[in-house]
Amino acid sequence: MPVLSPLAVESRNLAKTFRSGWLPRRETVALRGASLQVERGAIFGLLGPNGAGKTTLLSILATLLLPDGGSATILGHDVVREARAIRRRLNMASGNASFVWSLRPGEVLSFYGRLYGLHGRALKTKVGELLERFELLPHLKTEYNELSTGLKQRLALAKALLNDPEVLFLDEPTLGLDPDVSIRIRAQIAELRRQRGTTIILTTHYMREAEELCDRIAFIKGGRILAEGSADDLKRQIRIGDVIALRLDPSAPTGLADLPGVLQVQPRGDRLECTVDSSEKRLPEILKWLCDRGVLIRDCQVHEPELEEVFVELAR
Amino acid sequence: MSLRAERFAAGSALAESWEGEWVRLTAFAYRNLIMARRNVFFLFELTFWPGVAMLSHGLLTRFLALTPEMTAFILLGTVALSAVQVCQLDVAYAVLFDIWSKSMKHQFLTPVRIHHLALGSWVVGVGRGVIVWALMALIGGRAFGFDFVRPGVLRVALFLLGCFMTALVIGLLVCALVLLFGTRAETSAWAAVNFFVMLSGIYYPISVLPGWVAVISGGIPLTYFLDGVRAGYGFTPQYAHPFATGFALSLLYAVLAHWALAAAVTRSRRTGLLLKLSE
Repeated sequence: MPVLSPLAVESRNLAKTFRSGWLPRRETVALRGASLQVERGAIFGLLGPNGAGKTTLLSILATLLLPDGGSATILGHDVVREARAIRRRLNMASGNASFVWSLRPGEVLSFYGRLYGLHGRALKTKVGELLERFELLPHLKTEYNELSTGLKQRLALAKALLNDPEVLFLDEPTLGLDPDVSIRIRAQIAELRRQRGTTIILTTHYMREAEELCDRIAFIKGGRILAEGSADDLKRQIRIGDVIALRLDPSAPTGLADLPGVLQVQPRGDRLECTVDSSEKRLPEILKWLCDRGVLIRDCQVHEPELEEVFVELAR
Repeated sequence: MSLRAERFAAGSALAESWEGEWVRLTAFAYRNLIMARRNVFFLFELTFWPGVAMLSHGLLTRFLALTPEMTAFILLGTVALSAVQVCQLDVAYAVLFDIWSKSMKHQFLTPVRIHHLALGSWVVGVGRGVIVWALMALIGGRAFGFDFVRPGVLRVALFLLGCFMTALVIGLLVCALVLLFGTRAETSAWAAVNFFVMLSGIYYPISVLPGWVAVISGGIPLTYFLDGVRAGYGFTPQYAHPFATGFALSLLYAVLAHWALAAAVTRSRRTGLLLKLSE
């Protein structure tokens, strides 16, 4: 009997081109062979600049869009041929989600709950539980178009949990939200994985969010996945370098830049900033070199690159 | 859980229970009912326009001093137009609500099927169509002495059911057009019905239409339902078995329109229009 694949999501060489207009016919290539693998129970981040193909990739995986080439499976089911089977087991929420304007939060959830086959007591319990969990109970009488952005976002997340999805796609889930609301939503995302083992794929522009939530991250640009790994892996892969900031006496000893692994030496204020390939490896060597020359080390700080710097480097 | 077991679980879930089918169908009825209750323009659709149509056409028949039979001929057309219009709008709303609120992708992310969407919203359309008929019958009876049940309850029921079947077909075609051409096709929700009704001999027998147009009229189910009900007022039927022919055509078109909408949904997934309608 075949063993269950540890992968929740797998895509191979997904390609998608959007065509519009007649004369002239315009073509926009959104994906050029995107491949990724996401393990069950993982939180996977998709980062990339605007128009990189993040939402297109997510939409294909969520069965909302048909690919032109390549293949993808969700929980072992093909996203094109077995779309209906997997729609029961996945869901999606986006930062710019919208629902029918004059429905109230409970009605929105009841409508979509019915589409997932919930009814009677089960529907009532589920809707009540989600309204409470996402603190929507005080807004039961408010129509959708009168809800604040934060409340709309919370309702979108609540809707995405109606069918207890095994795979959840979140497209910019904290887009345009106040910091305190973003923090609460991030906590709810983390809790989902912890409590239910939900596999989550999220796109975000916020590096801190990706670093805080995601086990693995893929950088996508121009429809291609440029790099993939944990936040630390990515920082290493990109080799932007760690910065060792030193306050020395004398302040600028000559010859430091010639040491192996030192990429750059630059004075900044009363400090000397040495960019090295790996601080772990080079710091002892630099300190020894300085001590051997009788240089007094007054202060030493190590700064590893932020994910944001990796993003900027890759998006360049 | 093995892969085979997981596939089996998904497969058995796929085999819809009647209960699951019914629940998904009621989702659209539930939403249409809420919208109908909450928005004033639905009230206009239900009362104002049908009321105005009945009064103005009734007054016209009085001005022209038509016989009771000719008055019935005209007013049956008025009822048919209003009932079909209101009912088909409900079917079209299954897609139009999502177009207007840019929420299209959410319903197609669920395991919903075309027949859930079509029948769920159609049921509400039938209910609203019956209210329109009752209102027009009341106005027509009180103001112009028009007897709406003279052809007999069964014939009137068949006529109304025929109108609603026609509405289902038109509503599905409108949904398909909107999913093919986006918001540009939105006006078809109001225009399409007038076109079909004009060809089906709404205020005149189809014999007054040019020959080639009458051939097209013969392909429209409403032509047969109007012919069938008018026979109840003493007009010679133009077709043998008008109701049977009308229902056979309606069923055929309903299947074709269902297929057309399913194909339009697939195409919109391919072109990305489904996502564009959600942004």
